[in-house]
Amino acid sequence: MGRIVLNNVTKSFGETQVIPPLDLTIEDGEFAVFVGPSGCGKSTLLRMIAGLEELTSGQIEIDGEDVTQVPPSKRGLAMVFQSYALYPHMTVRKNIAFPLRMEGMDQSEIDKKVEAAAKSLNLTDYLDRKPAALSGGQRQRVAIGRAIVRNPSAFLFDEPLSNLDAALRVGMRLEISEMHESMKTTMIYVTHDQVEAMTMADKIVVLQAGVIEQVGTPLELYHTPRNVFVAGFIGSPKMNIFSGSEAKKLGAYTAGIRPEHIDIDLSGGTWKGTVGVAEHLGSDTFVHVHDTGLGDLVTVRIAGDVAVKHGDTIYLTPQMDKIHKFDEQGLRV
Amino acid sequence: MTNRSLPRLLQAPAVLLLLVWMLVPLSITLYFSFIRYVLNSLRRPEWTKPALSNWRGFGNYEFVLNNKDFILAIQNSLLIVCSILILTVIFGVLIAVLINKIFMGRGIVRVLLISPFFVMPAVNAVLWINMILDPVLGLQGLAVAGINEVIDGLRTLPVLGGFFSMWPEIEPISFRATQTSAYAVITMVTWQWTPFAVLIFMTSLQSEDQQQKEAAVLDGAGAWSQFRFLTLPHLARPIAIVVMIQAIFHLSLYAEIEIVSRGNGNKNLPYLIGEFANNNIGAASATGIFAVILANIVAIFLLRMIGKTLMD
Repeated sequence: MGRIVLNNVTKSFGETQVIPPLDLTIEDGEFAVFVGPSGCGKSTLLRMIAGLEELTSGQIEIDGEDVTQVPPSKRGLAMVFQSYALYPHMTVRKNIAFPLRMEGMDQSEIDKKVEAAAKSLNLTDYLDRKPAALSGGQRQRVAIGRAIVRNPSAFLFDEPLSNLDAALRVGMRLEISEMHESMKTTMIYVTHDQVEAMTMADKIVVLQAGVIEQVGTPLELYHTPRNVFVAGFIGSPKMNIFSGSEAKKLGAYTAGIRPEHIDIDLSGGTWKGTVGVAEHLGSDTFVHVHDTGLGDLVTVRIAGDVAVKHGDTIYLTPQMDKIHKFDEQGLRV
Repeated sequence: MTNRSLPRLLQAPAVLLLLVWMLVPLSITLYFSFIRYVLNSLRRPEWTKPALSNWRGFGNYEFVLNNKDFILAIQNSLLIVCSILILTVIFGVLIAVLINKIFMGRGIVRVLLISPFFVMPAVNAVLWINMILDPVLGLQGLAVAGINEVIDGLRTLPVLGGFFSMWPEIEPISFRATQTSAYAVITMVTWQWTPFAVLIFMTSLQSEDQQQKEAAVLDGAGAWSQFRFLTLPHLARPIAIVVMIQAIFHLSLYAEIEIVSRGNGNKNLPYLIGEFANNNIGAASATGIFAVILANIVAIFLLRMIGKTLMD
């Protein structure tokens, strides 16, 4: 079990309030991802749930029990840190066994659990090594192993993949997702990478400056962003957002269209522009178009290969039903 | 000239200088330790000049070994060094951990804690033995007198007086007496060198990974477990450094021993060398060679014990 409820939670460091009153419910077994630009308070929020950071006001409940004043170790949560936070002078075996040893569990029981965790994480061959002798991905797995053996009611991940290289990151992302599928334990995952958020989450919580901008499934956020910030943050490449006369023509203060929802033509269309850079990825082509009259550079994503190059004149036509419209306050119309 | 010999050649002056620096005094000491050589002798004036014709073989060594103070000096050297090492490391770790917390006036407290290290050894010894440890005029004498006075007062109480009458008068300890002067030396040097240990441990504690500590908190480790399983292993290397440096320094203690008891029953090897060197340079040199051997034994022992942590 692991239903986590935040009621009216706030956090201030001295005079500055980094998290204004905030309510959030994470259901049992859910994979929730906190995503936002750096400094948006997502890590602080996670640390408050873990108990490493005190609440300025408000209340945190786990499974209906108020844990606001409960010390971190008694909350039944396990956390995986960005720096892995392994104990450097202990072997992998001792690292994973540490929380069990602190519980005062039987040595034979500890051995059994450590072996099982190591097996599920492919760490059996490394049990007697020290963390310094492991690669980044292996260290991260040890950190996860240390979390698993505790059998927590929820896992907390604080940007666990940011120190890994791109290829490993994709692999670990899958492993964590599979781990969630098989364990069905609540997981809260903090990242600034919206791709991780989109690929892993059951529920994404988009934060900016301590305020929740939107909560929803990845596709809800993709299809119906609640405001301009979420629209620009979710999706890669970024949504083209423009205001002014072109937006007014569409009946909005600000309007946005995703790169994949624009069609190109060489002879005619809604907007005319010049190709700046065309990035050929093979499966897709990203075309960056200048001088369209929309203000910013417009990015277009086309499936497959298109023969356009720098300096070409090109016509863009948005798919009208895929246009997102926002009012003066930046809210969705 | 090949590519390889040029760097060697360029290094040569430094290597040569170091060799001369080390070898010349050692050879002279070795030479003196095998001849009869005294500073002043009316009966045998030929011994006052170092010469091979005064060859004595191992006579000087035999003389030193048979000296009643020699074994005591070695025991004392080891007792003083080991006690100081253990005490400074324990106090150093405790104080460093204590002042690693953030509190009002931490900067001032740190400076005050370091300050004993800047006192000259001779001044340190004079202060301790005269003003603190003196059985009559020092703090010790005053404290003992005060306690005795209080107990005296309690003896006149109506009911409990009888109980307190059974208590003996407390006698102040004279640290200039032969058996206790080593403890006085240990006390004052520990006081002076604990700041050194604190300084090294403090800087090391500041580099401790805070996320590890947070992970340990979540893993259910209390304050003691965090200290035992995270902080102490983290301090292993600085402890090794403190032990090594202090072992080197304290094997050659001299000023404190001179001032506390003039070596009265509390000689260490350097002090014994000093005594011989008043006249008998041959015996002093032989003792010096023994001191070199002792220092090497201690060094090998330390490297075995500590080298491992440093290599890790």
